[in-house]
Amino acid sequence: MLMQISEPGQTPEPHQRKLAVGIDLGTTNSLVATVRNGSSQTLADLDGKHLLPSVVYYGEDGSISVGDQALALASGDPRNTLLSVKRLMGRSYADVVGEESVIKSPYELLDLGQDMVKVRTRAGDLSPVQVSSEILKALGQRAEETLGGELTGVVITVPAYFDDAQRQATKDAAKIAGLNVLRLLNEPTAAAVAYGLDQQDEVAIAVFDLGGGTFDVSVLQLTKGVFEVLSTGGDSALGGDDFDHAIAQWFVAENNIASLDMYQQRSLLTAARQAKETLSTEAEVLVSLGDLNAKLTRQQFNDLVDPLIDKAIRACKRALRDAKLRNNDIHNVVMVGGSTRVPRVRERVAEWFGREPLVDLDPDKVVALGAALQADQLVGNRSGDEMLLLDVIPLSLGLETMGGLTEKVIHRNTTIPVAMAQEFTTFKDGQTGMSIHVVQGERELVEDCRSLARFELQGIPPMVAGAARIKVSFQVDADGLLRVSAREESTGSESRIEVKPAYGLSDTDIADMLQQSWASALDDKEARALREQQVEAEALLQALSAAMLQDGEAMLSELEQRELLAKMEALHHEREHGTAASIAKHIEIVGRGSEVFAERRMDASINQALAGRRVDEI
Amino acid sequence: MSEFNPRENYFALLAVPQSYEVNQSDLTRRYRELQQSAHPDRFAGASERERLHAVQYSSQINEAYETLASPTRRAAYLLKLAGVDSDMSSTTFQDPEFLMQQMQLREELSELQDASDPESALDRFYQDLDGAANQQKSIFSEAYAQQQFDEALASYAKLQFLEKLRSEAELKESELLDY
Repeated sequence: MLMQISEPGQTPEPHQRKLAVGIDLGTTNSLVATVRNGSSQTLADLDGKHLLPSVVYYGEDGSISVGDQALALASGDPRNTLLSVKRLMGRSYADVVGEESVIKSPYELLDLGQDMVKVRTRAGDLSPVQVSSEILKALGQRAEETLGGELTGVVITVPAYFDDAQRQATKDAAKIAGLNVLRLLNEPTAAAVAYGLDQQDEVAIAVFDLGGGTFDVSVLQLTKGVFEVLSTGGDSALGGDDFDHAIAQWFVAENNIASLDMYQQRSLLTAARQAKETLSTEAEVLVSLGDLNAKLTRQQFNDLVDPLIDKAIRACKRALRDAKLRNNDIHNVVMVGGSTRVPRVRERVAEWFGREPLVDLDPDKVVALGAALQADQLVGNRSGDEMLLLDVIPLSLGLETMGGLTEKVIHRNTTIPVAMAQEFTTFKDGQTGMSIHVVQGERELVEDCRSLARFELQGIPPMVAGAARIKVSFQVDADGLLRVSAREESTGSESRIEVKPAYGLSDTDIADMLQQSWASALDDKEARALREQQVEAEALLQALSAAMLQDGEAMLSELEQRELLAKMEALHHEREHGTAASIAKHIEIVGRGSEVFAERRMDASINQALAGRRVDEI
Repeated sequence: MSEFNPRENYFALLAVPQSYEVNQSDLTRRYRELQQSAHPDRFAGASERERLHAVQYSSQINEAYETLASPTRRAAYLLKLAGVDSDMSSTTFQDPEFLMQQMQLREELSELQDASDPESALDRFYQDLDGAANQQKSIFSEAYAQQQFDEALASYAKLQFLEKLRSEAELKESELLDY
């Protein structure tokens, strides 16, 4: 009876490979990789180029170009050519416009106070999330064209140091690009996976990741397929771009330049980048801007960048301290990011760790290669493989207490997922509301931390001061994303709310952007919504029918089975004949109806795993 | 054989004997086994409900592991299991020897910034702190094993005190070495 409900084609075929990719969404360049013929490879565009410059150009005719095409237009139309938007993800204007210098952002940023900064272009005021979604869309298309099919899911990498707002912004960008995110993976962890450094003996490694705009260092412990992050640190505003800026600043000082217009700035930065690259192989280089020239030697360049490298080394020191290790405990140092090509960087890293760093894999590609391996495993193409990635939360989460101080609820470098709860009470008789402010960061004063969410808890039953018990729960998932909920416990009256970060986008924002990105009529929007619900219903039915076939009879009573099957049948019917809204409703019904089954299956699968081990041990 | 129950006693969950002395490698091995089967990545293709359960279970396992792996948190947890209230807000120390040690450590900490080599002065300070903490750990271990909870509670309070000193030192370290 059970078998008849699942139609042919609904049960996933066991040996069918699913298409999954890893995407490295970088500050300067982005990449997409997949596992083919047993090895992880990056995918090229039609011209054979693997790196996609993270540049988006908004043309006069309303066209949008991404990558090299956009880059070619950068100095001609700086305002509408957006580079390095990763630096803007999840940040406010005040965050990104820190130090004043002659070299400013080459495009116009809008100060929106506490909200995420936007860029003013001819296509309107754009969120960095939208701009990033164009890059993701381009990579997704490249993958689907190359692999000849629809992607089941993607793993997108983020700097380990990214806070909640930056992670949420990245995930939102993927959503707008129409990609199914299996996991946000920390870049250093991805690099470690790509090197496949894992071995039988337990060893510690450090990943030194100096990209265009961010620096990350992570210390990991590797044992038999388990990649356990012990600590992570870095600087979300330190990268190769700063090397270029240092050269540009030097050039400005050398030639007594008082001011530069946007075009000159852009040309100078390009010249600076070229000079930096030349100095990786040559002893000196001539930097030119119009009629102005200046000679830069490698020694001078080293002196310019040493203070920046010092910052990176200090972050390494702290990461080791957090991991409770010393530099000579580190078995291997993995180099990631284009900026680790700078010889001075390699020199200083080798000197500090006392060993030559690993540079066998292309430092630009290693993150995408690792992400592809993880994606391949998450869609189930690599069964029997026991690779497990245990990441940590990079920055502490806390709540504002009296006097503008923070009270940490989850400390940095705690392994995720993690859940914590804290109890609060009212301080006035009859108090019915309470304001809760969630922050992220290490500093004691709230104003020095990142404000993630501020919310009012309403409807607390009136009681004498101190009688109410309000439990605020934090849940950080494996992507490092936070959910906060609050509940009044003493009366049993639940007022549960969920909080989205202040810097993030609201669901309406995302819906608007989705609509913009489809650039189509209302019908299309509805058709899309319907299709999305159909796909979701299909996925749920597939997962459930497979589960029912396997465990239904063993774990559910006959009545429970019949009830669940009836709900599934109703969903199946809606999927064929219903609207987006009615399908969504039935998905919810089936979801709730399968709750108990899901729980029993989880328990059983864990017990089974443990039982197997214990027998081995005896 | 015991069934997996995420709300179970952390010692039982991680299959180590309930005592202050724990075998770190047994603890870690069992922890990894549990995560291998409960981590949300194992349920990437499952329904949303199952994924939600996985996040909860996996969080619980992390919490259990981090509690038992930390000497101070493990002590607090053992006291809780014994029904001893370990809230420190009203504790006063009447142990002159410990008070003396505290004063010395505090002095060492305040003199750090004037040291000619603050980095090695810090290292020395951490060593002294470790020494003091190890002393309290063995007192706790013995007292707890003999169910002398008052004494165990006192040494736990001292451990917490030392922990606080450590976080102050870490803060100072970031100022001194400009992290």
